[in-house]
Amino acid sequence: MRFLELNSADLDEVLKRYAEEEAEAREVRRRYADWDYIRKQPPRIRAALEYYVESGDIRRACLIAGMDLEDFRELLRRANMPVVV
Amino acid sequence: MSAREPEFAIADTCFLIDWARYRYRDVLFKLFKTVFVPETILREVKSENTIAWIASNLAKGHLTLYTETADVVSEATSIVEASKRSPHLISVELPEAVCLAVGRRRGYVVLTENRGLILFSSISSDYRDVAIWRALEVIAMASLKELLEIECSDLEARFKEYEEETLISS
Repeated sequence: MRFLELNSADLDEVLKRYAEEEAEAREVRRRYADWDYIRKQPPRIRAALEYYVESGDIRRACLIAGMDLEDFRELLRRANMPVVV
Repeated sequence: MSAREPEFAIADTCFLIDWARYRYRDVLFKLFKTVFVPETILREVKSENTIAWIASNLAKGHLTLYTETADVVSEATSIVEASKRSPHLISVELPEAVCLAVGRRRGYVVLTENRGLILFSSISSDYRDVAIWRALEVIAMASLKELLEIECSDLEARFKEYEEETLISS
């Protein structure tokens, strides 16, 4: 599998843009999240929601929660958390 | 996106479970002749609303099941492994990777909301040319083609409407 050359201008540009977008997305998730709801969840679910707020990685958050994707998406809705892409 | 109008798309779970809640969801079938749903993706969907919408459109022929072949699964597994090896990336899992592999092989538009997949395709030379659309691109394209009964100036309101409809808890 071929990737853009590490340290190439293209890769730097893509990763820089991604980091900026991800920082903005993280801020949106933090701002919109219903933190009272999140804090009331059992430890595993709370950890998964907090992980999702910080990372935006829904698949890994599902693993942490021990939930499938659709149930976890519903949990995000209950926590008032937008899926920012 | 290629100059030719895309006729086919392949959708992943993240896209389908939100899109099925959107009031103008059937506009998808005005944009594409067929939208493929891999079997691995179908197995992940379980809510009544989403399953009912998928089943009804499978029956109408708007959606078509995609049965993964061994070579597609093998390519998808390579994508998963490559994404997990790179510290820059959010890991990509097999269901989304199948969509990307099929998108590359067949020239289908990949419909996804998965950030990991979007980033992966943007830094992989092998997958950079695969067209990847999120719901917002689908709505924008439908608006551009005047398939949604709105003025272009209302596009922002349409995005907001989509965001609200997919955020509401059932």
